[in-house]
Amino acid sequence: MICLGIESTAHTFSCAIIEKRGKNGKILSDIRKIYRPPEGEGIHPREASRHHAENSPQVLSECLNKADVKITDLDMVSYAAGPGLGPCLRIGAVVARSLSSYYGIPVYPVNHALGHIELGKMLTGAKDPLVLLVSGGHTMILAFLGKKWRVFGETLDITLGQLLDQIGRHAGFASPCGSKIEELASKSSSYEYLPYVVKGNDVSFSGLLSATKRIIPKGLEAACFSLQETAFSMIGEAVERALSFTGKKEFLVVGGVAANKRLSEIFQSICKRHNCKFFVSPKEYSGDCGSQISWVGLLESSKKAGAKLENTFVRQSWRLDTVEILY
Amino acid sequence: MIFVMLLRLLKKGAEADIYLTIWNDRKSILKIRKRKEYRNEILDNRIRTLRTVREAKMMSEVKTFGVSTPIVFFVDQNKFKIYLQFIPGMLVRDLPNKLIINTCEKIGKIVGTLHKNGIMHGDLTTSNFILGSDELIILDFGLAQRTEKIEDHAIDLRLFKEVLNSAHVEIVNQAWLSFLRGYGKIVGASRKEKIISQVLVIEKRGRYANVV
Repeated sequence: MICLGIESTAHTFSCAIIEKRGKNGKILSDIRKIYRPPEGEGIHPREASRHHAENSPQVLSECLNKADVKITDLDMVSYAAGPGLGPCLRIGAVVARSLSSYYGIPVYPVNHALGHIELGKMLTGAKDPLVLLVSGGHTMILAFLGKKWRVFGETLDITLGQLLDQIGRHAGFASPCGSKIEELASKSSSYEYLPYVVKGNDVSFSGLLSATKRIIPKGLEAACFSLQETAFSMIGEAVERALSFTGKKEFLVVGGVAANKRLSEIFQSICKRHNCKFFVSPKEYSGDCGSQISWVGLLESSKKAGAKLENTFVRQSWRLDTVEILY
Repeated sequence: MIFVMLLRLLKKGAEADIYLTIWNDRKSILKIRKRKEYRNEILDNRIRTLRTVREAKMMSEVKTFGVSTPIVFFVDQNKFKIYLQFIPGMLVRDLPNKLIINTCEKIGKIVGTLHKNGIMHGDLTTSNFILGSDELIILDFGLAQRTEKIEDHAIDLRLFKEVLNSAHVEIVNQAWLSFLRGYGKIVGASRKEKIISQVLVIEKRGRYANVV
């Protein structure tokens, strides 16, 4: 089976082609174009969707060329139907629908967050992990139980990605700001107290955001360092609680923030303490990409037929824990 | 004189290691909040001190209004150690489903009593309750706080609901209703309704919640 996956939930427009044989998948190509807002600003949904619309033909043809696949070779097409920014989601959906109706290819709307998890599992070989999904859109601790991914802990307000981006933008960087903050943080080791808020298995970052903004004038590097140490320790504790509660022996981190080295270091230490195998999705595929969408499409196609065109929806708020997993 | 030091690791918890030991000839639980290598030392020390002290104080205080907790034998603040009474019994998490549903009403009563007296627990999971021979005992007050706020009390309930939703999927509805029945008996119907509606507000605040 060969599937084209289209991702367009936020700042990334990406097409990828994966070939599935038995239980294994091979990524034939994964092409991305990322919308970059001006420094100090966040994503403007309309501008991002314009970027996606303008770049979609080029990304698609590059993706097909690199994979050495013709459109008529495709067995199916899948697109990210949510959660994400409405105007952006619609671009991906339009491309998927057009291909499906013109070439008669089955189409699959898939959940973006599920894509992060399934691609992470496929690439790392994790079997039954506790999963932390950390990105601009999600901060969730999940485990699979009875046909669904269940939430064992999550943020009560903003996500870890939003926290880092908002601080970064406040300091005048271009989003996404995670890597810039990581770089600055590595130059400091002076810790300032910041609010540490863990509520059971959940975390809350909004107070930390305001407090960090206040200490930036005292020194940006120390602020970035203290921010990372506090926020990551909070996530670390929530993960430890979930590991100890569920007794899972594998732990997988996926999503854009998974690329952060300090965060990985923390999880390595935690997993060692809990005798647990640690997996992190490869940097290249931890952020938003077409592969995650293509792979979920392929998994779903083993159990169900493609969607009717009138059912090819987009849903801005589509929670992962409402998706029933059939495969 | 033969001196036998008994120290057996029972559980590596998220925050602390739990040992079975002897304290002045009594079977005892030793709870140590060990240094977390990954956490910045200043932050780590502050969190461990705060929680050790708070836990010991709260565990004793809640007894004054009839909530059953292990007896605190001894606290060593500098070593982040608490010696507690050993309680034989089963964690509610590991009970058969039917018994969990019944026990949830008792849990609701305990939580209601805490809230009525201005204390939120902060970590209400089914593994923080032990069904002993006579009574249901509540553990783990490291995240407890003195607060009368509706929001804080609702956070307690939301966490418990989340735990039922993730770890006790088959019985979540019955268990939740049973919990609320017990909770309402203590705090009264109008307070219960206020808290429940605040739980919904918190849930809507969540990421991609189904906001109608």
